[in-house]
Amino acid sequence: MSNTLRPYLNAVRATLTAALTLDNFASQQVERHNKPEVEIHTSPEVLLLPLIVSRNESERVLIEPSVNSLRLSIAIKQADEIEKILCHKFTRFMMMRAEGFIILRRKPLPGYDISFLITNFHSESMLKHKLVDFIIQFMEDVDKEISEMKLSLNARARIVAESYLSTVS
Amino acid sequence: MILLESRNTVINDVLLDRFEKPSRMDIQFVDYDNVRFHLSTADSKTVILLSMGIQCWPDLIKYGAREHLQKEYAGLVLPPNETEPEYDVTLSIDLEKLPPTAEERSALVQKLALFKSTAMSAPFLAAFAEQAQLQSSYKEPAGAQQFELPPAESQGELKIIKYREEEAMFIQARHDRVTVIFSTVFKEETDRVYGRVFLQEFVDARRLQSLQSAPQVTYSNREPPLEIRHVPGLKNGEDWGYVTFVLFPRHFANPTQALSTIHRIQLFRDYLHYHIKCSKAYMHSRMRARVAEFLKVLNRAKPEVATAERKTASGRTFQRR
Repeated sequence: MSNTLRPYLNAVRATLTAALTLDNFASQQVERHNKPEVEIHTSPEVLLLPLIVSRNESERVLIEPSVNSLRLSIAIKQADEIEKILCHKFTRFMMMRAEGFIILRRKPLPGYDISFLITNFHSESMLKHKLVDFIIQFMEDVDKEISEMKLSLNARARIVAESYLSTVS
Repeated sequence: MILLESRNTVINDVLLDRFEKPSRMDIQFVDYDNVRFHLSTADSKTVILLSMGIQCWPDLIKYGAREHLQKEYAGLVLPPNETEPEYDVTLSIDLEKLPPTAEERSALVQKLALFKSTAMSAPFLAAFAEQAQLQSSYKEPAGAQQFELPPAESQGELKIIKYREEEAMFIQARHDRVTVIFSTVFKEETDRVYGRVFLQEFVDARRLQSLQSAPQVTYSNREPPLEIRHVPGLKNGEDWGYVTFVLFPRHFANPTQALSTIHRIQLFRDYLHYHIKCSKAYMHSRMRARVAEFLKVLNRAKPEVATAERKTASGRTFQRR
């Protein structure tokens, strides 16, 4: 692991652990409603300060905490056109399966590639440190997966080209 | 399976079977580039009709495809007025007049399975012949004269074969080489990006020592290459790619080599797109596996619900309903 990735992930982990102090909080506007406050933005007094942890200009994490929910958006590294396509396909693939990943948001925040929404119900029914582990592992693996896919595409293209040209020569 | 075969497996298998025991049939099937085939027995079990409908037939006719087929399949090609309707060319194979030995029969089947390739190879052969002619009449121009020489003299006719609806193949002979240009369209953004990676590898692969003798490959997207820029109706845009193969006389020095080169070049477009689709499928299966793994990690966060057997004070078990 490169030496800038470790502190980046540590910072995200620490911020996330600190921000995951969620409590049940019913809506102040509508009776008997209980909505993630970070999404509806109706009571500014229950929103906490959003925070961006950034590794470089293309890789960053936005953490928006509130009293009963937390939104985490990740921008994934995309160095060239292939990585952009692969990243887009991969995140789309995941978001189409959002009902399996209960904390995944179906749409990312503009400017980011993938978003998670953790509410107090999730943090009550699941172990908090394991949730943080999942986010961190996701961030680690998604970069690895994309670069591996890119390598395999290049390797395949090379083999394809060589075996074709060797029959023509 | 990395390489695609130029022969048609359906023709091959069906004919091998029918040569053994004739029976009635009516089979329609397709090949790459919207080529349609129809195998049928019209009047009697022993006369098989093999018809082919090929989109670029008008182009092929211009470059002597019918004559070439007549030469290759001597006595089998039906004249145009007897060709099956809706198809372009028909072969009629009489099972009672087959060659006697098994080897000759399988050779015939092999040849028939290459029906499409043979039809498509006519313009290539014409270009190769043209190149030989140009080479013999070409005189090395001495210094200054080079500029006076009109370029049209040293190049053959540009042969255009529109082998798909939007995509075409351009073949041009020069005194020292034959240039084959493919235009291809990538319908999707992903295909375009993958296609670029693949084509770049085709260009780079030639740097290898073992592939030094392979034809030179260049590609350009957006803009068509200079050789065909004057052709009307060419499209240029993000999703268009132009691939140029430069064949030198050593690639078609003898008939067998020429034939194998032609068969490979013809399948280039199919080969490229086939592998693009394969890569996409591979990526998809990879993502599926990776997402399943992520899901497992997430499910680890859910605490396990203890479902121990419950007992009453007296030691009997009970179930809540």
